[in-house]
Amino acid sequence: MSLSPDLKQRVFASLAEVPAPTRADVRRARVWLFGCGILGALAIFFFEGGVRVMSRPPSLVALSSLGTAAIVGTGMWLLLTRGRSALGRPVSLLLATAVIASVLFVAWRYSLSALYGDGQIVRWPARPGFRCMALSVVTGALPLLGALLSWRRTIAVSPVATGAAFGAGAGLGSALLVDLWCPVSYLPHLFLGHLLPIGVLALLGGVLGSRLLRLAWR
Amino acid sequence: MSPADEAMTRYAQGDAAAFDAVYEGVAPRLEAYLRRHVRGTTRVEDIIQQTFLQIHAARGTFNAGAEVFPWALAIARRLMFDVGRKARREEYRDMRDEDEVEARAEITRAVASGEELLQAREIGERLSAAYDRLSEPQRVAFELVKTSGLSHAQAATVAGTSVTGIKLRVHRAYVALRAALDEARAPLPPSATTAVPPRAGGLLSAGGRR
Repeated sequence: MSLSPDLKQRVFASLAEVPAPTRADVRRARVWLFGCGILGALAIFFFEGGVRVMSRPPSLVALSSLGTAAIVGTGMWLLLTRGRSALGRPVSLLLATAVIASVLFVAWRYSLSALYGDGQIVRWPARPGFRCMALSVVTGALPLLGALLSWRRTIAVSPVATGAAFGAGAGLGSALLVDLWCPVSYLPHLFLGHLLPIGVLALLGGVLGSRLLRLAWR
Repeated sequence: MSPADEAMTRYAQGDAAAFDAVYEGVAPRLEAYLRRHVRGTTRVEDIIQQTFLQIHAARGTFNAGAEVFPWALAIARRLMFDVGRKARREEYRDMRDEDEVEARAEITRAVASGEELLQAREIGERLSAAYDRLSEPQRVAFELVKTSGLSHAQAATVAGTSVTGIKLRVHRAYVALRAALDEARAPLPPSATTAVPPRAGGLLSAGGRR
């Protein structure tokens, strides 16, 4: 048994009813959406005080931020882009990237701060980490939304994992901002205020991704 | 890169005329895959049409130089699962009745005697049973790699697992099927050959479908 002779004609006729942006159109839309998300995140970051050195030596802030930028930059590139395949990156790679980059940037921040003396890694009773967590989630949510909208209804394989990867990528980006903003390097604070938001955003991305990214019959 | 891949790259950049080559390169392979999983030509055609609509709508997300068939297959599988959720379970099956009839006729033509026909049916039956005993992930991996011709990496992405996982599943499926084939080819006592009843279907009757 073979396909109906008129299937090809039906397929071609139905194409006209569905808008199909070209690669250039999609690139423009992505730059616009993701750019708006990043600008929104930066606006919130500067509204909250921007870069705050406080008790940290400027060299610590610079080194910490440079290292974090390298780690989260690599992580964001792997998590927020889809690679050369039309199917995106394998889920195992996304998961490994999210975990390794998250752990690595906290380890970098903590170990570098420890090198500057015990005073840099002491507990701040007034700063358990909730403000950092809130800032991370809010500044990460906007680029996440931009990423989800720019890939809306186009992910055929693992939309939940892709959404979670977008969330983790956005969380890593917000971690860089919070790294500049927060002077506390006490380990439980880093876990609560800097690491946990990445998980929260990944979860949010997974939930939203299952609704926004998956294919729908047209 | 196949002509369909090159055409898809051009189509993603806005060359509407390239879609014809994409269709010609992808539709027959999609049909072959869907025929093994979906009952009825109408439903197969619905999924194919919908797959091309999705490709068309998402053409701007297609990376230059990427392969279009694994992407199309992933879309078709997703749509197929959507249809499967809506349809009654008994409407689903692994192969068409027409396939079975045709394949059985082919076997009948190919074998020289009734005894050979019986033996071929026996082998087919045992292979089919061995295939059914495979786990679902093993069946999916075996089919994507051995039947649909995807690379291990592509199959891993389509199935949502690692390359190592796909290789392992394909290998285990191959070993199980190989063992079933060896067992079926072993000489049977004369009484056993006459005791095998004729049976429709089976892996062999699909012409190596899976």
